[in-house]
Amino acid sequence: MPSLSYSTAARIAARELRSSRGKFTFVLLSVAIGVAALTGVRGFSSSFRAMLLLRARSIMAADVSARTTQQLTPQEQAGLDKLVAGGGDETPITELLSMASSTTSLDPLLVSVKSVDPAKYPFYGAVVLAPAMPVAQALTPATVAVGDDLLLRLHLKIGDSIKLGTRTYRIVATVVDEPDRLSGSFAAGPRVLLSQTALVDSGLLAAGSHAARRYLFKLPATKQGSASSDDVVAALKTQLETLLPEAQITDYREANPALTKGLDGATGLLTLMSLVALVLGAVGVAMAMRAHLQQRLDSIAIMKSLGAGSGQIMKIYLLQTLLLGLGGGLLGVVLGIGVQLSFPLFLAKLLHITPDFRLDPRVFATGLGAGLLTTLLFTLPPLLDIRNVRPILILRRAVETSDDPFTARLARKLRGSLAQLSAIVLILACLTLIASRVSDSRQVGGYFAAGLALVLLVLLAMSWLTLYLLRVFLGRTRLHLPSAVRHGLSNLYRPGNPSAALLAALGLGVMQIVAVYIAQRAVVQEMQISTAANLPNIFLLDIATDEVEGVRSLLAHQSGVQGTPEILPIVGSRLLSIDGVPASQLKLQHLPRRVLQSINITWPATADAPPLGDKVVEGEWWTAQQSADSVQHPLVAIARQAADHLHVHPGQQMTFAAQDTQFTATVAAIYEPDSRHASSRAEFVVPQPVLAGLPVVWYGGVHCDTAATSLLQRALYEHYPTITVINVAATLETVRQVILQITYVIQFLAAFSIFAGIVILASSIAGTRYRRIREVVVLKTLGATRVRIATIFSIEFAVLGLVAGAVGLVFANLLARLILIHALHFEYHFQPWLNLGAWAATAALTVATGWLASHRILGQKPLEVLREE
Amino acid sequence: MIVVESLRKSLRTGTTTVEILKGIDFTIDKGEFAAIMGASGSGKSTLLGLLAGLDNPTSGNVHLNGTAISYLPEDKLAKLRGRTIGFVFQSYQLIPTLTALENVLLPYELNDESGDRKAGLERARQLLVSVGLESRLDHYPVQLSGGEQQRVALARAFILRPPIVLADEPTGNLDTSNGKHVLDLLLQLNHAEGTTLVLVTHDPALADYATRVITLRDGLVISDHRQSPVATQL
Repeated sequence: MPSLSYSTAARIAARELRSSRGKFTFVLLSVAIGVAALTGVRGFSSSFRAMLLLRARSIMAADVSARTTQQLTPQEQAGLDKLVAGGGDETPITELLSMASSTTSLDPLLVSVKSVDPAKYPFYGAVVLAPAMPVAQALTPATVAVGDDLLLRLHLKIGDSIKLGTRTYRIVATVVDEPDRLSGSFAAGPRVLLSQTALVDSGLLAAGSHAARRYLFKLPATKQGSASSDDVVAALKTQLETLLPEAQITDYREANPALTKGLDGATGLLTLMSLVALVLGAVGVAMAMRAHLQQRLDSIAIMKSLGAGSGQIMKIYLLQTLLLGLGGGLLGVVLGIGVQLSFPLFLAKLLHITPDFRLDPRVFATGLGAGLLTTLLFTLPPLLDIRNVRPILILRRAVETSDDPFTARLARKLRGSLAQLSAIVLILACLTLIASRVSDSRQVGGYFAAGLALVLLVLLAMSWLTLYLLRVFLGRTRLHLPSAVRHGLSNLYRPGNPSAALLAALGLGVMQIVAVYIAQRAVVQEMQISTAANLPNIFLLDIATDEVEGVRSLLAHQSGVQGTPEILPIVGSRLLSIDGVPASQLKLQHLPRRVLQSINITWPATADAPPLGDKVVEGEWWTAQQSADSVQHPLVAIARQAADHLHVHPGQQMTFAAQDTQFTATVAAIYEPDSRHASSRAEFVVPQPVLAGLPVVWYGGVHCDTAATSLLQRALYEHYPTITVINVAATLETVRQVILQITYVIQFLAAFSIFAGIVILASSIAGTRYRRIREVVVLKTLGATRVRIATIFSIEFAVLGLVAGAVGLVFANLLARLILIHALHFEYHFQPWLNLGAWAATAALTVATGWLASHRILGQKPLEVLREE
Repeated sequence: MIVVESLRKSLRTGTTTVEILKGIDFTIDKGEFAAIMGASGSGKSTLLGLLAGLDNPTSGNVHLNGTAISYLPEDKLAKLRGRTIGFVFQSYQLIPTLTALENVLLPYELNDESGDRKAGLERARQLLVSVGLESRLDHYPVQLSGGEQQRVALARAFILRPPIVLADEPTGNLDTSNGKHVLDLLLQLNHAEGTTLVLVTHDPALADYATRVITLRDGLVISDHRQSPVATQL
């Protein structure tokens, strides 16, 4: 058979495109919006995530830190040097307690000394000094920066000198904020920050000094200039754990669990949103192309009757599809660039940051490729249908009826649809590839494609079942129903009306949009709790028992203090043995043995509940009765990290010594402490009676407005000069800001994804309007008013919206539950009102879109349409 | 009675304006059977559409039983059309999602204000019986042949006993025998209901059944004469 040349096929394809500009604009826009959502969300989120990761690292000032109390051996130092030889960096920090005094008075003060290498520290974030100056400029061998409480206590001012060890240092600035304040030692006494050289000169590092060392590590930046991936960070951590078995190794993700959880939540959600954007775009394309090819059936039949083969006709429509996919994809990429450029502008005021956004060509290539590929893939089944179009169609749209049993009909249909089934398999394989690319994970891609196929199958089956049941209902009641209802319901079965496909598409869209909404809401809510304004940002150490009430009263009346202060008792203790194994023989994991000699034990404020913020992860907390009986049967609960280091589990016996008292307690529970609360300062909790009579010091935590922290520090010093005040307000404010930024971005991107999804679904609904034109004309000719016609269509759309909404919402909740609990480790709660609202909104939006789409055809003069026949 | 006054209709296609009707005047009396003849493109279908108020003329007016309809608001026009006119299309134009019975009942449901649905149903059944489709009441249009679909359309046109029936090439899509059958039924119903019938056709044999023949060419009436119709099977 002579073949249709590509140029002729292209000419026919282009002419068809030109002749039905309106219809093709919808297809083009569907592709464009899908690609724009994909490129916009993906591009923006990858830039933003990179920036957030950098900020998260600033909480620890490094990618990984190693804390040790021992001097490194030459072998260990050589190992560290080798580790960072590949382009990374390392810097030591030394922390110790010492006495400092003013050069004009002899009163010494216990201070918390921290020495750094001013040329390298910090790797991430910044040290804020007042007056503002770089660390490298401030810290010379003869100068120090100090906490403003030191100036207060020693009656000094900037420019004065302090004596530290054997040397005198000039104070050049006060330390307002250190990026690693939360991950450093929470030692008593005001801060003195100086250079390593200055510390060596002071003579404080004599043999036997109790200096703790922290080594900060920075991994080399990636080729794109962003921070290293979590996998690389984890690998470095493992290497360090092997190299320094006695050291406590922490990566930046552990520095602030709330922040890390927020980041994980945000990352998971952003990937989900990118995938959702991809599928919604594909749905839009599929629906639009399906509708388009349905309308071309007559042309196809005519071409066939003139002798054209299926292959020749498919060539025309394949070219058309390619043109649409490419055009829509390019338009989408342009829109995506617009989205990426406009997001930071929208967010700049909200976030108070000017992120460095780069336009990554790979993101656009992925978007364009995904757009083109999904267009081609989703039009493959309708394109293959061309083979089944018979020329007789131009003479009569016959309906096939058959008395064969259902199974025989199904088997025949399946045989006839073998090519389509193969196309579907191909679609799934390609979707897996695209999803793997979008989510940067082959596993996620595979799960996603498999899940999508399953959900689509179930959605199609449920849509088919619902339509079948409605048809049975209609068949039994049709002449008893009001005519508008009957007509509206009958319209669901309009020949060529893609009710089942539209239901499945709408259901899929609703599922994804609502799942994104539920998931982002859960993540944002939990993160907002973690940034609650009344969490402690000022910590008080060494409060004597007779000072507790006075401190409470002072805090209650101090301006700027918010909420109730958290004050907890601490009993200094030693761990003697576990299950009879002496502490000296215990197998410890990344815990200096010396730590076992000074452990903090507390008791909970409530007899039968853990301290505020702590969550039991293993075992059970004791009851009030067990607490009362604890003198005879002592119990203990341990923070998870300590339990990991000591390898203990509920049921084991631990023997402690405090002063001259010894007690052996059974491990009742392992709990996850909440580092934002003061209670996290103690890693062991026992019932109050166990510690009765032992000497107690108290620790406190309170929230104070950042601006009023100096006043609070002064007031506390005036009344209680022995209490150490640790001010982490500035650092916590940074954490709070980053978490808030994450929540804003999540909400913003979710809103964008949802909006794009609604637009795509609306265009799918609107795409069916061409089928209604003739019906509107006939109804008008027979005397129907526009209100009447709108009522009929509203019933049809409302049923579509309600059925799709119901099915979509069931799956949305299942999907959100799966993502929140298993992937993001957040809590999922079913929200009836939200679901009811979403259901009503789906129906209302479907009807509104239907109206909008039908508005023009309702106003069309009947003769305009009839004349076209 | 249908009165047509200086009726003009132009259509803009791109930059050019095509004058389809260039000034038409005639009156069709109550009970008359008028055939509008003309070659393809002469403007006869446009004229019929304007008689039914399916579009606005560029100028001029159409009066149906004393009411000027050409510039009425869309919904008012739809109501008037529903009560006054029965329309038979060349391509049947049945609603594909409704059964034959529901298609015939539809104008009744859209326009009847008596609320007597039972009477409407009875009339619809009766009409379908009269066109020989008593066994096809619950069939959908796609389950009917072309001739059967047009018979449903005929029954639908007469359900409200409209004073005027307009038919646009009602046999144009049918073979000779089916065409003859449909025409017979149309004339039979017209005679039984006493309606004014305006039929557009390019087939002189069909026009022979009319009492009056109006011929159009290039948008103008070139002849208008009354005649004795040929005998039918009535």
